[in-house]
Amino acid sequence: MSEVIDFKIRWGMVIDLDKCTGCGACMVACQAENNLAPQVDASNKLRALNWLTVYRLSNGKSFPDHEVAYLPRPCMQCGKPSCVSVCPVVATDKREEGGIVSQIPPRCIGCRYCMASCPYHARYFNWYDPKWPGDLDRTLTPDVSTRPRGVVEKCSFCHHRWMHAKDAAILKGEDPMDLPDGAYITACTEACPNGAITFGDLNNPKHKVYELRQSPHAFRLLERLGTEPQVYYLSKREWVRRQGDNYLEHEATGDNKKV
Amino acid sequence: MDYSKPVDAALFPEGCQRCSLTRFMAWMGILGVILLWGLYAAVRVLGFGLGETGMDDYFGFGLWITFDLAVIALGAGAFFTGLLRYILNIDELKNIVNLAAVIGFLCYTGAMLILVLDIGQPIRCWFGYWYPNVHSMLTEVIFCITCYCIVLIIEYVPLILENRQLARSRFISALAHNFHLLMPLFAGIGAFLSTFHQGSLGGMYGVLFGRPYLYREGFFIWPWTFFLFILSAISAGPMFTVLVCTIMEKMSGRRLVTWEVKQLMGKIGGTMLLVYTVFKLADTWFWAVDLLPREGLTFDQMFYGWIYGKWLMWTELLCIILPVIFLLKKSTRENPKIFYTMLTLTCISITLNRYLLTVQALAIPVMPFDAWRTYAPNWAEWGACALVMAYAAMVLSLSYRYLPMFPQEARLNENK
Amino acid sequence: MNRRGFLKFAAGGTVGLVASPIIWNTLYDAVYWSQNWGWIPRVPRGDSTYMRTISKLCPSGTGIRVRLVDGQPVRALSDPDNPLSRGALTALAAAETQLMVSPARLKEPLRRTPDGALVAISWEEAEKLLREKLAEAGGSTACISGDPTSTVNELLSSLVESRGSADFYFMPDDEQAALAAWSAMGGMGRLGYDVDNSDFILAIGANMLESWGTVARNRRNFSAGRPAGQEARVKFAYAGPVQNNTAAGADWWLPCRDGMEMELALGIAHLLIKAGHAVPSAGLDDFKALAGEYTPEKVAALTGVDAGRLAEVAKALAGAEKPLVLVGSALGAGGGAGAVMAGIAVNMLLGRVGAEGGLVNLPFPTPVVTGASDYRTVVNRNLIAWSQSVASGETEAPRVLLIYDANPLYSLPSDSGMEEVFTRSGFKVAMASFLSESCARCDLVLPAAMGLERFDDCYTPYGSGEVSWCISHPLVKPFYNSRPMGEVLISLAKELGVETGVKDMPGLLYKKAYSLGANFRKMVESGAVFQKKASGAFSVPVYNTDAIRTALTLKKEAAPLSLAPVVVLGMGTAQTGIPPFATKIITEYQLAGHSSVAQMNAATADKLGVRKGARVTVGNGKVKVPALVDIFEGVLPDAVALSAGLGHTAFDEFSRNKGSNIMTLTSITREPGTGLPVWSSAGVSVDKA
Repeated sequence: MSEVIDFKIRWGMVIDLDKCTGCGACMVACQAENNLAPQVDASNKLRALNWLTVYRLSNGKSFPDHEVAYLPRPCMQCGKPSCVSVCPVVATDKREEGGIVSQIPPRCIGCRYCMASCPYHARYFNWYDPKWPGDLDRTLTPDVSTRPRGVVEKCSFCHHRWMHAKDAAILKGEDPMDLPDGAYITACTEACPNGAITFGDLNNPKHKVYELRQSPHAFRLLERLGTEPQVYYLSKREWVRRQGDNYLEHEATGDNKKV
Repeated sequence: MDYSKPVDAALFPEGCQRCSLTRFMAWMGILGVILLWGLYAAVRVLGFGLGETGMDDYFGFGLWITFDLAVIALGAGAFFTGLLRYILNIDELKNIVNLAAVIGFLCYTGAMLILVLDIGQPIRCWFGYWYPNVHSMLTEVIFCITCYCIVLIIEYVPLILENRQLARSRFISALAHNFHLLMPLFAGIGAFLSTFHQGSLGGMYGVLFGRPYLYREGFFIWPWTFFLFILSAISAGPMFTVLVCTIMEKMSGRRLVTWEVKQLMGKIGGTMLLVYTVFKLADTWFWAVDLLPREGLTFDQMFYGWIYGKWLMWTELLCIILPVIFLLKKSTRENPKIFYTMLTLTCISITLNRYLLTVQALAIPVMPFDAWRTYAPNWAEWGACALVMAYAAMVLSLSYRYLPMFPQEARLNENK
Repeated sequence: MNRRGFLKFAAGGTVGLVASPIIWNTLYDAVYWSQNWGWIPRVPRGDSTYMRTISKLCPSGTGIRVRLVDGQPVRALSDPDNPLSRGALTALAAAETQLMVSPARLKEPLRRTPDGALVAISWEEAEKLLREKLAEAGGSTACISGDPTSTVNELLSSLVESRGSADFYFMPDDEQAALAAWSAMGGMGRLGYDVDNSDFILAIGANMLESWGTVARNRRNFSAGRPAGQEARVKFAYAGPVQNNTAAGADWWLPCRDGMEMELALGIAHLLIKAGHAVPSAGLDDFKALAGEYTPEKVAALTGVDAGRLAEVAKALAGAEKPLVLVGSALGAGGGAGAVMAGIAVNMLLGRVGAEGGLVNLPFPTPVVTGASDYRTVVNRNLIAWSQSVASGETEAPRVLLIYDANPLYSLPSDSGMEEVFTRSGFKVAMASFLSESCARCDLVLPAAMGLERFDDCYTPYGSGEVSWCISHPLVKPFYNSRPMGEVLISLAKELGVETGVKDMPGLLYKKAYSLGANFRKMVESGAVFQKKASGAFSVPVYNTDAIRTALTLKKEAAPLSLAPVVVLGMGTAQTGIPPFATKIITEYQLAGHSSVAQMNAATADKLGVRKGARVTVGNGKVKVPALVDIFEGVLPDAVALSAGLGHTAFDEFSRNKGSNIMTLTSITREPGTGLPVWSSAGVSVDKA
């Protein structure tokens, strides 16, 4: 049905899992940046609306050989998104240069077919109307519209920041389609105190991510499914890389990797 | 006026007896209470949001989608019986085709009602037409289901027009007659639309390449779940029609269609089920030994504990294998107990199939570090389903009471 | 109308309706309605401006860049130009702007009425009341401050002490233990850690990548030392009972029982001495004798750390060019000085005291407010000794108790005596921004302007490796009816006739800048930060083995299980409660519904006969709290990990009704020699509920 959609610019992340310690600063920054409503009770994680979620990984061994790692999971902005082709009303698309999978809440009818399609659980539904108790709505940012109940939403790689970066480049007389490394980064990238997230154009050799994604320690989540994510992960630990995909017992980690 | 008959006897089909109006109203009252409960659930969902249900971000599809898919499959008796009756001219089926059409109408309108609740933005339900994504199987489903729903209304209307009192009007009588003449055309359109949306519903799941339980590869231009859904629907549809007919007979104490007609329906359903079973088994086998390993997964990883255990799949398969054997063997088919049991098993299997594809498929953690999650529908979801069932039972009761649904009824109950 | 007429009318009507814009416009409008329901807030339209300042909520004063839209702060962003945090942002600092308008924010001065309710009063009334009460109380005034980095402390100190009281205290924190240890080992100033320049850091007990010390800066160093996709230049090892966030980033995790940090450090010392690493200083022989007793086997038995892994870390430590050992407590308070002494001794063995990337000696700040005690004096005071003495009746409870930016009723162990202090004190006054548990118990609550609304400062937070000074200045007018506490205190002092020597907060900060040699104007205008390298010259440290030996005599209660606290800064501090956005970062293994989650490894669970999801109670003999069991192999055997920062009963709906406060499970013992209160080694029992 759907095929890999390629662009001249492919915005992407390389997340170094050996640097993530799971503090949650990225999640807080993301909520504040993208006007996600706070939730009084978010203990049901299957109803907690986050564009970015940090998962805890375990090497599966018993104490004292146990190891732990944390994995932040934004939208993968797949090259071949499972969600785009299924949406009956084109509320989500991958058409714009940069390769960010869009999500248009005013178009969404809330059928949740895209959520069923996404193996990363990157998509979230507004089960209720968003609420900002007291004066919390005063801290809404001007960049991202609030969403009503009944629509699906997801990480946009802080798309508005790209728009701002392009505007800034145009004002400076620079080429908006050839932004220098770091001119456009997402809120989570900016917030991470450990510098675990590197953001940039995966196709641009001048960007750090171009080199990082080619590291022998780089991998993407569930590559075997053919989703071609634009988010890469790095780990020197084999057990962490092995959790990036499903492997049969006899298969070696990274066998499935596509160049 | 004949005081020995119910007060509304003038509206009854020619030569048919019905229970007293009081008794009928009591029955409708019971259904009405269930309907109101469901209505309350629906109002809460529409008023406050889908948070009122038991669904969540892992289980974006739940009981409602299972229910929709199940009733759409079970309601397939309408198009398939219509196809056989009007296009392939299997004349005996005229005795049950009216019932099949009404059941189809109820199943589809019921499903539409649930869908209105199930989508987060019912006000935007028309977007499917206005901004269609031609690549989405769901778009095809939306188109075909709504169109087919119109066809079903067209098939149901002449039956209403045949009410004894309405038919007195020359105009209505003529209209009904003309509708009847057009019926093969609608049956044809209905068959076309139904085949496509049943297939698309299957395709909807088959294309989800991010979900190892669902994804199936291309077969011609569609994933083969497209054809599995058509086959399962045309097997279960006629059987469900027979079961409903039998339940109506039990409740009314009157014979409505002949045993021969039921046997014929069972035989047709059984034959279709044989085809389905062969493909289903081949599909399951291929999925387990080829598709899954290619994704780095094993068959065992698709199941978890009791709630998503393998017993579900074994039950699903057993409940089609047994009916195939017992329905196609003349001696067992002719035993009413075995016959009805087998029809029931088939309907259970098809419903279970839709449940597994909807819920189990979403429960499976695809990312290795993710965990199995469980889902249980809450009262609001059950309530909405009860609403639809109560609505269906009410319409069916009214139709039975006042419309000539069963051509054989008067003759079969002559000596009563 | 005949039938034909009706049909004509119907057909015409339908065609007309379809052709008219009514249907289509309604449908299009429906799109807008469903997007813009009136009850869903709109986003603001306006120009954005960015101002640099610091987060006063974050205990180490992380530098932030605040985005304002039409003058309203909407985002706290990281500040790459801040030379201390260098673009690192903590999860708490990121919530600064949201906390400004959070439902828990205090909006009006509140006073307790005779029937027990807190009601809003005017500032005039509040100030008058406070003035009168203080005037009445005279020397019977006590004050507890929860913000040791602020110069406002000097105002409080002056206000309390110039009128004859010596009861101005900081809330307990790790610096008290560090200072006691550093003095015992011959240090003259404050103990500092040159984290920036080290290439191997062994953090014993200190959750340095999450909550301990200058956490944003620590994490920036962690980041810089481990560039993505390249070999790590800086290695980390962490010793503690849980594989917490620091352990997740570290190269080695030494699973060490809580409260056994000293023994672990001695075990490392043993291995270093054996390998010939023993930089001489006075008392080395005696220390060698002590360390000689701590064989890896003995240490393994005491601490739970596998001998092989200990040797591995000791070897890596010795092999590093610029190693640093830092010792702290999991909760950032309640650790003993003995462990820090042992840690200092290990640094001494490696010759790391006064060296680049090692332990450094930092000068104490000079007070600029007339009549204020110096920092050293205040840090050395023992709040718990006072509060327990008040509780036991030895010391008279103060007639006025001032609580500044602190929440002692929540963040101290239940036997700290604080409950009695609150019950017995005459008039309790809270100065805070959020309605904490302690505020809720006060007679007068003054709503404090927050960091973005006031002049304040952050002077060399504990854990720094150099002298640093940052200031916060008002970016916006105080929200609601809150006021900058510094100004309130200055005018209060004036009216009470207390000579402070300052007119207002800018004046105070200007004076402070002058004393440090900093450029105040530049700091306000551009958000610049004052930094000064630690001076190398100070007396040579000594191996004070006697002090370590004395500390080692601390009786550690034999409990079947030990409590392993987990601290996540994003979940807020005792003063802030849980920030609104933080409910989503609290994980399923920290909180389940309304219940805390008790993490333990499978072997421990087997021993206790419980399974994942089981309802249990965790108790210490006096208090029992409910919890849900979760299995996590990153917990020491016979230990149960519980998250700190839960169980609030005050603040707002984001904080309340979530789990239990682990402080209720801790109890206090006094460390032999130093007399410091120690509560990190809490024994607990787990029972099926």
